Amino acid sequence: MDYELGAPADALRTRLRSLIREHVPEDFLGAFSNEPKDLDLTQAFCKVLADEGLLCLTWPQEYGGAGGSVWEQTVVREEMWAHHEPRGAQYMGVNWVGPALMRHGTDRQRAVHLPAIARGEVIWCQGFSEPEAGSDLASLRTRAVRVEDGWHISGQKVWTSYATMAQWCVLATCTDPEASTSQRLTLFLVPMDRAGVQVRPIPSMLGPHHLNEVFLDDVHVTESDVLGAVGGGWTVMRDALAYERVGIARYARCDALLARLRQALGDEWDQLPPGLRTRWVTALVDIRVARLLAYSAVADQADGIDPAAASLARIATVECDQSVAELLLEASGSTALDSGTDALVHGAVDDHWRYAQAASVSSGTIEVQRIIVARQVLGGKG
Amino acid sequence: MKTAMPEDVLAFGSSARRSLLRLGGIDLALRAEADRSLRGPVGVSLQALGAGDLDVRGDADQLLAAAELCRVSGGLALPWPVVEELLSVDGARLALVGSGSARVDHGDLDGEWLACDLDGQTFDIVMGEPGRAKLGPFLVPAQRIGGQMNRPSGDIARHLLLGSWRLLGGVQAALAQVVEHVGVRVQFGRPLSEFQSVRFAVADATVQVRGFEELAKFTVWRLMTASPERSLADALALRLHGARKAVQVFRTCHQLLGAVGFCDEHDVSVLDRHLQPLVRLPLAAEALAERLVQSVARGDLESLYA
Repeated sequence: MDYELGAPADALRTRLRSLIREHVPEDFLGAFSNEPKDLDLTQAFCKVLADEGLLCLTWPQEYGGAGGSVWEQTVVREEMWAHHEPRGAQYMGVNWVGPALMRHGTDRQRAVHLPAIARGEVIWCQGFSEPEAGSDLASLRTRAVRVEDGWHISGQKVWTSYATMAQWCVLATCTDPEASTSQRLTLFLVPMDRAGVQVRPIPSMLGPHHLNEVFLDDVHVTESDVLGAVGGGWTVMRDALAYERVGIARYARCDALLARLRQALGDEWDQLPPGLRTRWVTALVDIRVARLLAYSAVADQADGIDPAAASLARIATVECDQSVAELLLEASGSTALDSGTDALVHGAVDDHWRYAQAASVSSGTIEVQRIIVARQVLGGKG
Repeated sequence: MKTAMPEDVLAFGSSARRSLLRLGGIDLALRAEADRSLRGPVGVSLQALGAGDLDVRGDADQLLAAAELCRVSGGLALPWPVVEELLSVDGARLALVGSGSARVDHGDLDGEWLACDLDGQTFDIVMGEPGRAKLGPFLVPAQRIGGQMNRPSGDIARHLLLGSWRLLGGVQAALAQVVEHVGVRVQFGRPLSEFQSVRFAVADATVQVRGFEELAKFTVWRLMTASPERSLADALALRLHGARKAVQVFRTCHQLLGAVGFCDEHDVSVLDRHLQPLVRLPLAAEALAERLVQSVARGDLESLYA
């Protein structure tokens, strides 16, 4: 056994940390902010990464990537998330819209969209969830009805992150309500400024831009906007999600925040209640375990062995994220609820706790992950 | 990055399991509670497997093989001080004891014994009368004599590590029993495995066991590559995690098995009782965590950002 990620991955981590130190201020908490400078920073940082050939590092070379390994992809995932995702909204385009276009897009779609994503010039959002279709995506109701020169789409999407800043949306629709689950959905690539698209932000405890509603009123799209085959949306979604099946490297931010808070507390760390310090070290071990489960899933991804490995990793990571969120707040004492850049570790404690509440819900609920694991261990479908 | 166990080590583990199963499996552990002399053939079988030849201090592959042997032994609740014998010093089994009253698992077996604590202090020990406890039925009270600082921290780390692998084997075996049980046990007209609460409980226990397994493998690798101080912190972290997860997994197992899981005729009852020394001794989870706090304060527990 060997747990070294390899020299290229180690060098990449060093390079990324150097770029982050140079371009990302310490108080940056991500693009989910009302401060225009935060969005500007992410766009500028993406340009830096693109110029360095790091934005789409793991894409095939023919599409502007560098053909990086799964371990380099892992390092990017860890370093970006640990530093509050300075790629901002580009995460969506780089991690799954691009790969989905490579596999299912037309030549024209690839020519139009992939270079823009690779240069970090365009923001994508994902129009999947609906008021009546969360985990059960196959039951979504947004209808695309065929018309003479294409399709008209009407319906409502909800919880759509980045919708207020996105230029494009991968929109999941129902094109044949009578068809089987695997054939009733179709994906469309829709510009967000097209007539009939309206976005309404949803104020939430998570912060701005996380949650939005998208209303679709007779939005006209053409045949050339279909991603994949008509009726093949389920296949595209399943394939696309497989690119990021291990999920966000939440354990990396937990690790980084504990290190930052420990540094910020200084000698006060030694004065924390003993029970809190034992929880702290227990959390460090849990973080290590979550990381190892993620590595195991990545290794399996390369070998194609265990379909439940990613779900195991995601359950451990999500539980870690939420317990560390509580720990950070408790260790912050009377300043725990302070927010903003003047707060302890520049408000990252409050920010992390709020965002961690959604960890077990977003990008596939923890219940769905348990279903997948149970299916692997016990068989059956439930 | 290679996270999979080497094929030859897995093959060694399978071979060892087949050989040790012939002694009676978990039933041997139960019967040995009443007749301690039944443990004798276990030592002979372990020697036949080459356990005594494994160089756990110097060779990475052999340490991993020893860890796998410990995992197999834990899955069978093998009534023998496997870890203590693998780490023997000049023929004397090495027991790891905490502060205060010492307890040594299988300390009544013939042969020389030596004890050390987590600080590396080494003692001669005089064994008392074997106890008859339900939890840890082979524990023997022991008195420490003398005490000098001469055990390297690598020995302490290896003791914690190999004991954790034995515990891992136990929780894996217990979960496997439960998976089988919920598949065949019918209640309200359908197998328990069709109830979502049961499926989720099994999923969560699977996460706990798999996480423990990955940490156990990683810690073997660390022990052969990191500094002694960091290896000891890693081993403490593993035992802490194992102790916490063993409690949770056995709790889940008992709940899903219902009353039958408490019966001595059921393997999970035997596994749970016989592996308690590894969950509680030389230190239980909270005390292990307190020691790990000291390691973290010294910067000995590495992470991506610490």
